[in-house]
Amino acid sequence: MSEAKRLHPAAIIFNLIKTIREFLFAIILGFITFRDESLLYFILILAGLVVIFITSSVLTWYRYTYRVEDDELRIEYGVFIRKKRYISKNRIQSIDLTSGVIHRIFKLTKVQIETAGSGTDAEASLSAVKLAEGEALRQELKSRSLESAGDDEFADETAETSNPSSTIRFKRLFLAGTTSGSIGVIMALAATAFSQVEQFIPEQFYESSVQWLIGLGIIIIAVMTIVGLLLLWLFGIAGTIIKYGNFTITGNEHELFITRGLLEKKQVTIPLKRIQAVGIQESIIRQPLGFVTVYAEVAGGSMRKGEDFSSILFPIMKRDEVEDFLQTFLPAYAGLQRELRPLPKRARKFYIMRSSILFLLATVAVGIFFPSFIWAPLVLLAGSVFLGWLRHKDGGFRVQGRRLTIRHRLFSRNTIMIFHKRIQAFEEKQHKVQKLQRLETMRLSIVGTMGAGTHFTMKDLEESHTDELSDWYSHRSQ
Amino acid sequence: MRQPPINRIAPDAIKAWKISAAIAEGMLWLITIALFVVAFIFEFSYWFGAVAVLISGMTTLFFVFLLPKLRWRRWRYEVFEQEIYIQHGILIVSRTLVPMIRVQHVDTKQGPILKKYNLASVEISTAATTHEIPALLEEDASELRDRISALARVDEDDV
Repeated sequence: MSEAKRLHPAAIIFNLIKTIREFLFAIILGFITFRDESLLYFILILAGLVVIFITSSVLTWYRYTYRVEDDELRIEYGVFIRKKRYISKNRIQSIDLTSGVIHRIFKLTKVQIETAGSGTDAEASLSAVKLAEGEALRQELKSRSLESAGDDEFADETAETSNPSSTIRFKRLFLAGTTSGSIGVIMALAATAFSQVEQFIPEQFYESSVQWLIGLGIIIIAVMTIVGLLLLWLFGIAGTIIKYGNFTITGNEHELFITRGLLEKKQVTIPLKRIQAVGIQESIIRQPLGFVTVYAEVAGGSMRKGEDFSSILFPIMKRDEVEDFLQTFLPAYAGLQRELRPLPKRARKFYIMRSSILFLLATVAVGIFFPSFIWAPLVLLAGSVFLGWLRHKDGGFRVQGRRLTIRHRLFSRNTIMIFHKRIQAFEEKQHKVQKLQRLETMRLSIVGTMGAGTHFTMKDLEESHTDELSDWYSHRSQ
Repeated sequence: MRQPPINRIAPDAIKAWKISAAIAEGMLWLITIALFVVAFIFEFSYWFGAVAVLISGMTTLFFVFLLPKLRWRRWRYEVFEQEIYIQHGILIVSRTLVPMIRVQHVDTKQGPILKKYNLASVEISTAATTHEIPALLEEDASELRDRISALARVDEDDV
């Protein structure tokens, strides 16, 4: 692959879309300004602009070439100013292939190449190449010993590979959709709506027929609200299915490949050595059903719009399947510990106080000013006390050799496994009340996305435990 | 908690902090005076001014005369061959361990107030966090910077 190649002509469309999007605001502004007097001139200018846009898109496409030479990806581009960008194979961290809807019509893909830099955009992005070509390019750029690694499942899904692979089943995907985050909000809203309706209906029925009609109106509104919420929920399910449809993870000893998406097909590569921590999330709805999400905190690279901060390694699985999953894909993180060292009992009151203090104040305030509505903050208060109790119960940690497991809950319960060498800094904090109770707060920092750190805080640990942990972390004691 | 670090920061830090706090308080006093002027011109109630005097006075007492000393008393650091150990915080005491092999770069910084007392701060950055040791003697700060950067040069396989 030493001869210079152009992108697929469909790239012209993408160039055009991009330019138009950049100028859209100016065009709309122009239209509003010139709407009355000089609409004709405006249309003429617009037509001129369109011609310029198309020409520049074609020229941009024509001037954009890429080739692989001397172990480098060499891209040359620019219409007036010629630019050359050479990226050495060894510096390439990951190569992602994304196929949007337009791409899939022409059997194309977008190739994004990332190096370790911390910019917001990918280092190089080939907006449209043939799918097979993208595959070949990826194979070609995959340097070192990874060459032989069979990773052509993107092009040929039936290809037999020796690498372990796991695909989400539709039933599970559907379940993931039904239990996704939006359902909690919807349920809360529905509960509130119901209680409101119940408050109104009896009064309305006792009064005259006109009132009765209004009551009917309220019922209609209520029904419509419920239907609306149901629709939202269905959209949530559909969204999850579209986003995670055909979710497949494949691994070898250096990287994980993730393919997902029903409409926009996405393939992401995660080099194992960039994984900073592996987490298991049990949301408050999924936990009783025994389902979890497995994710990884991946360092650096670019963060595209709409991407989650951490990478989902598998959207949903049974709790007891996790161990097998880790054994297969991330053997270093296998050996899940359920028995963690808990938080001390005396920390419970602080946890409950922290989570409920706001609602306690709200209850007092409502009790004084609107005593008839006291039930609303009371329910919230009870909920928050329970949440605080759960947070305390679920908190814990365990050290196994060079690996630390911590578990904490905000709403979802997260179990996170971090290796000693991934922790960038360790901090223990203690305020006056904690000092009296011999409790301490611990804070760990690991590398996060875009050069910013990700921090994990565990509040109110036993003082002697944080001392143990800081001895474990200290590089002096080795 | 374990043993605190042994090194204190320069005693002149108290003076430097007092000056910067005094500047901020000066702004507050200006506002207070402005309130009185406005009250005088527009025949406003002097109550607002009185409250402002009270607030300014109390914050001045606290931030200029009390806090710097307390802060200085708590601030400790120690640089080992393998890691940096920092303690700070008045109400919430925080102790941080930063391993040398995680240090990405070290800076020294000096503003006009610190310069007046020949002080400088050292800022230590890892890939995820930044830590500052404020107000060391200039020589100490540059010596510390060089030492940390030399110790941090030990490389490890990856991030």
